[in-house]
Amino acid sequence: MPQIGSVISKFYTEYNTKTPKKLKVIDAYLLYILLTGIVQFVYCCLVGTFPFNSFLSGFISCVSSFVLAVCLRLQVNPENKSQFSGISPERGFADFIFAHVVLHLVVMNFIG
Amino acid sequence: MKLFLFLICTLFSLVRSQGNTLVLLDNQVIRETHSIFFKSLQERGYNLSFKIADDSSLVLSKYGEYLYENLIIFAPAVEEFGGTLNVDTITQFVDDGGNVLVAGNSGTGDVLRELASECGFEVDEEGAFVIDHLNYDVNDEGQHTKLVITPDNLIDAPVIVGSRKDVKPLLYQGTGILADPENPLVLPLLSAESTAYSYIPEQAIKEYPHAVGRDTVLIAGLQARNNARVVFSGSLSFFSDEFFTAPVEKAQGGVKSDVSGNRDVAFAISQWVFKEHGQLRVRSVKHSRVGEEKPPSAYTIMEDVIYKIEIDIFEDGEWKPFSADDIQLEFVRIDPFVRTNLQKKGKQYEARFKIPDVYGVYQFKVDYDRVGYTRIYNTTQVSVRPLQHTQYERFINCAYPYYAGAFSMMGGLFLFSFVFLHLKEDEVKKSKGD
Repeated sequence: MPQIGSVISKFYTEYNTKTPKKLKVIDAYLLYILLTGIVQFVYCCLVGTFPFNSFLSGFISCVSSFVLAVCLRLQVNPENKSQFSGISPERGFADFIFAHVVLHLVVMNFIG
Repeated sequence: MKLFLFLICTLFSLVRSQGNTLVLLDNQVIRETHSIFFKSLQERGYNLSFKIADDSSLVLSKYGEYLYENLIIFAPAVEEFGGTLNVDTITQFVDDGGNVLVAGNSGTGDVLRELASECGFEVDEEGAFVIDHLNYDVNDEGQHTKLVITPDNLIDAPVIVGSRKDVKPLLYQGTGILADPENPLVLPLLSAESTAYSYIPEQAIKEYPHAVGRDTVLIAGLQARNNARVVFSGSLSFFSDEFFTAPVEKAQGGVKSDVSGNRDVAFAISQWVFKEHGQLRVRSVKHSRVGEEKPPSAYTIMEDVIYKIEIDIFEDGEWKPFSADDIQLEFVRIDPFVRTNLQKKGKQYEARFKIPDVYGVYQFKVDYDRVGYTRIYNTTQVSVRPLQHTQYERFINCAYPYYAGAFSMMGGLFLFSFVFLHLKEDEVKKSKGD
């Protein structure tokens, strides 16, 4: 038990000191998306699947936003620079916005 | 002259014409011995042409059109028909909608056997009689072949044989018929008592008889898929004047009547076989959305539909509205999705129902098949489409959390982009510093 506690505290301090602030913003954004998704899922379990298209579009919008944000985080992370050598963080962000535009168009069409 | 023509016209209109009927006889004597039966047909408006069965001038059709609507074969002994008549032409006649009444006896010839087997019956061997040692008439000649049949053995179908309760005991003398019980088109109009069997009376019984007990059919009927009707009687004497007027008394006692019921049953059967009874038709079919008059080009799922059908029955020479309470409507897409009773409203039958929540190509189907009646099979095809894009419900209360979720994703994206872009500069410096 104390080992796990030390692992967690070490992880926390490492995260606080070593992670760039930009990535911390993305992580906060991810957490927000995750919570919204969970709330919708729990609501659907309680109320039933009646406007199923609405549920799907709401939930899928969360899931896809999460996936896109994770992708952005991978591309922006300086440690992964070698893998994304041709893609600047600005280019990654532009891709991210473009994907979001497409996603939200689809979601609005499907939500009913 | 005009008055004369008018009189002739009224005279013809009074006599209901039931169509031409060809009567084939073994010999002219049968015309006399069965005069009551023939006379009743003529009184009902049938135009009878009597011919000897092997007359070489026999024709059923000329230039592709039938000369007769009905055919009566009271010629048990005939081995081969004359003229162009043979089993093939008679079956073709039935296939084209003609009605046939055949009577055989113990000496039924091969051509009639062949005709019977074309219709799904089998006539017992030559020389065989239906024998019943418990239910024979007092006037029997010792072989127990003149049988007394109680009306309970008639088929339970008033449209064919009349009401069973009112019928007096019947007399029967002739051969037995075997009918395939699996064949749904064949009807045993009259079957023998459970103590009867069919065998040659003079011979000792060495083999199991072909027909035993209630399986022995005495008069068999067939309503083909095209609604043509065929009746095959194993006894020609069933229709004779002698049996029509004879008193009935069972030798063992119990059943006794001054006159047999043959006359009533024979008349009823002749009315059925020549389609005076039990002929139905569909006059009109209408369907629409509830509250509208005309059918739409396509229905939408979950709509309320009203279906109306008019069914007529041919009675006393004219078509009258038919009334029954067991007609069903099915709304079918491969399987029936809706099956409902049709309610009689005035002259027509009506059903209202809601189209199921499944789209596709459907049929309104009325399939009315009752013993003795023409089969009614009427289908109307309609297509049922899903809701249009604009017909769906919008802004459902319980879906607001999902709307909020989707919009919060957009808002979140906006805020995030804002923060992300503004943090950039000093982040880049920091990460370079690492």
